[in-house]
Amino acid sequence: MNVIRDVWQSIVRRDPLSTDKGKSELVFLNLWLHIHPAKVKKEHLKIKHTWYLGFITFFLFLILVTTGVALMCYYRPQSPQAYQDMKDLQFVVFLGRFLRNMHRWSAHGMVVCVFLHMCRVFYTGSYKKPRQFNWVVGVFLFLLTLGLSFTGYLLPWDQLAFWAITVGTNIGSYAPLVGKQLRELLLGGHSVGESALLRFYVLHVAVLPSAVILLTMVHFWRVRKDGGLSRPVWKLKQDQAEALVTIGVPGDAPALTVTTAAKDKTYGLMEVVTGKPIFETVTAEEEEDVVFSYPYAFFREAVALMATVTTIMALSLVWSAPLEELANPAKTPNPAKAPWYFLGLQELVSHSALLGGVVAPALMVLALMAVPYFDTNPSRRPADRKWAIRVFTIFVAINIVLIIVGTFFRGPGWALVPPWVHIVAGAE
Amino acid sequence: MKRRSFLSWGAAGFVTLWSAVGVSLAAVVRFLTPSVFYEPPQAFKIGNPADFPFGPPTFLADEKIYVFRERDKGFAVASAVCTHLGCTVAYFPSDQKFHCPCHGSVFVSDGSVQHGPAPRGLEWFEVTLARDGQLNVDKEKVVPPAYRLMV
Ligand code: HEM
Ligand code: FES
Repeated sequence: MNVIRDVWQSIVRRDPLSTDKGKSELVFLNLWLHIHPAKVKKEHLKIKHTWYLGFITFFLFLILVTTGVALMCYYRPQSPQAYQDMKDLQFVVFLGRFLRNMHRWSAHGMVVCVFLHMCRVFYTGSYKKPRQFNWVVGVFLFLLTLGLSFTGYLLPWDQLAFWAITVGTNIGSYAPLVGKQLRELLLGGHSVGESALLRFYVLHVAVLPSAVILLTMVHFWRVRKDGGLSRPVWKLKQDQAEALVTIGVPGDAPALTVTTAAKDKTYGLMEVVTGKPIFETVTAEEEEDVVFSYPYAFFREAVALMATVTTIMALSLVWSAPLEELANPAKTPNPAKAPWYFLGLQELVSHSALLGGVVAPALMVLALMAVPYFDTNPSRRPADRKWAIRVFTIFVAINIVLIIVGTFFRGPGWALVPPWVHIVAGAE
Repeated sequence: MKRRSFLSWGAAGFVTLWSAVGVSLAAVVRFLTPSVFYEPPQAFKIGNPADFPFGPPTFLADEKIYVFRERDKGFAVASAVCTHLGCTVAYFPSDQKFHCPCHGSVFVSDGSVQHGPAPRGLEWFEVTLARDGQLNVDKEKVVPPAYRLMV
């Protein structure tokens, strides 16, 4: 049995987990886990600080990659094969419908969770110095998430897909100067057709996922390099509020005197420099507030992962992703709606295509990116940032209201209808 | 190396590098622009004049056009593509108007917008008589709404 033990040792190469050294080695000798610190602050493990929304978003992305690769084994991005393959996945392929459902519901879930994650980051003021740039990285991840959903929406090649993408890409062509050309590049033609399907497929399975993976790596790296998560707002005492964020300034500490190491030193040190680090640091009296990542942080993340996967699986057993008739360029369904997260946009567009479809969303995205650079109020305590919170809440509310109006209150011909019309129609 | 020649080599290198980047970007854009469109031709024949009845226009689904034939006035061809966001409009003989299902634009029978978000009226395409006696529609050639082909 020594062989088995030796093989295992050759893989993990750490001390037993019962020891402190083993617990830290588990983290920093492992490529996948070492994005974590060996020890975390207890307060960061509190659910009510992050709601684990960033993690859940990431886990949904993992589900999407896994189920997506499975779906690729049966899917051909051609017309009308694409639609036939969807039918096959639904009725012929073993587990096909279930995998398709999982892929669809995780995609919707990811859009929801990435938005909620952004809200929690905003409300906890976690985009403030030194995290400004990570917020911007986040905004790009948000856009990429929408892009993934949007490109995926076309792939079933049914009526829903075809018209949502026709309407969606026509919105873009209202952009001054480059709109028409951009749309043509995206579609590889003048209207949504075979080349558009192929291009959306390439974006959906190769370009955008790679971009998300790369940016997620940057995002996680920055969370660590910004000093780990921000402190929960309820921990910010009045007098500390400022001290904790005035960081990154050159320190006035005297130069360190470096003594020669003892003979039995077992650590390597790259360089000793003076000055304050750019991230929040743990003061001496906070030392005892930290615990080993193993098992505390990992256990909670595993629970979040299990909960995410179980929820998606349960949803996929109960509800099936829609599949309408084969795409028919001649016949527009009435009403023709974009994917739900763009219905707020479509609502605006139904009033003015240029203002609602191009100017308003562009301003929204720019405003989001500029948030950490405009809001220079250093305090993260909610009491000190009433206006920021009000403005952001209005922004969120407007988006939600527009989406609800577009989804439930718009019927044939985009006329206003009472929402129960859809329930009755849905029951047919 | 002399300071002068270092600077000019540096400048040359800088210009070369950025030109290479620019050319590559242009090449990417050109690569993504199809040289051939495998799309239905923009000019096509739609049949003999006698195939089209008088009265409400005939809808040709694949071509996305409405063919009008009026007594003593002749032929006219309207686009069925809404100028707002490209949905296919439907002609209602009851009120003689085009209704768009997507955001509710309404176009009167000469194609102009009555209400709704559509920024422009429906387009009218040139229709001519081909040598073989068939009607020929060219979607590249937009004509004023008053355009008629007398047969
Ligand atoms: C694919 C999308 C995204 C993924 C997978 C993701 C993932 C994560 C994870 C796992 C964390 C650690 C803490 C937590 O769970 O909250 C985090 C933190 C953070 N995220 Fe994201 N995120 C995404 C998008 C965004 C967006 C859209 C924003 C904002 C516009 C954003 C801004 C931030 C910031 C500033 C932090 C640090 C928060 C703190 O220190 O408390 N992220 N992200
Ligand atoms: S596409 Fe016709 S009204 Fe919007």
